[in-house]
Amino acid sequence: MAEENPMDPIHQFAIEPLFSLHPFGIDATFTNASLFMVIVALTAASVMLLGTSPRALVPGRLQSVAEMAYEFVKATIGMAGSHDGMRFFPFVFTLFLFVLLCNLIGLIPYTFTVTSQIAVTGALALLVIGIVVVYGFMHHGTKFFRLFVPSGVPVALMPLLVPIEVISFLSRPVSLSVRLFANMLAGHITLKVMGGFVVSLLGAGFFAVLAPLPFAMAVILTAFELLVAVLQAYVFAILTCVYLNDAVHPGH
Amino acid sequence: MARRGRQGEDRPGQREWQSRELGSLETDDGALSARLKKLSDALDAKRSAEEASRREGPLPGAAGSMGNVLSLAFRVLSEFVAAVVVGAAIGWGIDRLSGTTPWFLIVFLLFGAAAGFWNVYRIATEKPGGGEG
Repeated sequence: MAEENPMDPIHQFAIEPLFSLHPFGIDATFTNASLFMVIVALTAASVMLLGTSPRALVPGRLQSVAEMAYEFVKATIGMAGSHDGMRFFPFVFTLFLFVLLCNLIGLIPYTFTVTSQIAVTGALALLVIGIVVVYGFMHHGTKFFRLFVPSGVPVALMPLLVPIEVISFLSRPVSLSVRLFANMLAGHITLKVMGGFVVSLLGAGFFAVLAPLPFAMAVILTAFELLVAVLQAYVFAILTCVYLNDAVHPGH
Repeated sequence: MARRGRQGEDRPGQREWQSRELGSLETDDGALSARLKKLSDALDAKRSAEEASRREGPLPGAAGSMGNVLSLAFRVLSEFVAAVVVGAAIGWGIDRLSGTTPWFLIVFLLFGAAAGFWNVYRIATEKPGGGEG
């Protein structure tokens, strides 16, 4: 990707405009990030559509992938503990599949990792918290504020505890987005640095004997990144469920 | 019209294929029943093993224990840091608007630290199998 400096580990995260798009004066330029988001969405949609179209009793490969994804998200929602959490199943499922495929497709060389952009993960986290707030107010009205008032606490302690609860609530989108973003960013930088070590050692005369060491490290790290990619998508989904559970039952 | 014609062409071939398949199934009936028995035995064994692992493991859907611990560690870290940062940001914002630097920053930094500990405490007391959030 980077002709001018192939060793720069940060260059892989550069946003490059593909073609300019300014409808109604809004800068909606189509970038490589947008391209990969479209690729992820199309991949997810086609896996689910093609996987569910045969409707075989004994599933084929694609169908069992689709069914496993469904069962997994269903178990995740069940684990977060709300009985009527299945109402949010389409949202959680879409979110999980999007994050998972962004993470996994980003691991393929020469692709772009959409989830390594804080703008993307931040938008996803704000979407989750926005749904929590809107749903909470729609179904509980002002009772939703009980989320910030711990039960069974003397009134004298309220001025101390309510700000803590509010900050704790506001820190959720931050930690949700930063966790995913930081994991993907750090992992991809580490991989790139290891790859850079291999290249520079190979060009360093006698020290080329050492080149297999960072190469082995890069192989191990790739497997580790695969684990992190799946795990972070899972964590994102289960925390979304936990937060949505708060919207359904605000009073602890 | 053209499409219907093609369908008509397809059908006899398909029927022939089906009947051939049926014939081969009928000829080795004994082999088939033996294979079915083997498959159902394997299925039973797998099901009981799954049941056992479900009884032992607290998180049926999660990845291995190494991944679990890692993600938990990162969750604790990020929840704590996020709370402190959010508290500091709120304090800084209030100070900027009201010109009371640095008092609100200090107070809300402390609130943020407390909220961070509260987040970590909540993760620590959370039941592994779920339950109330």
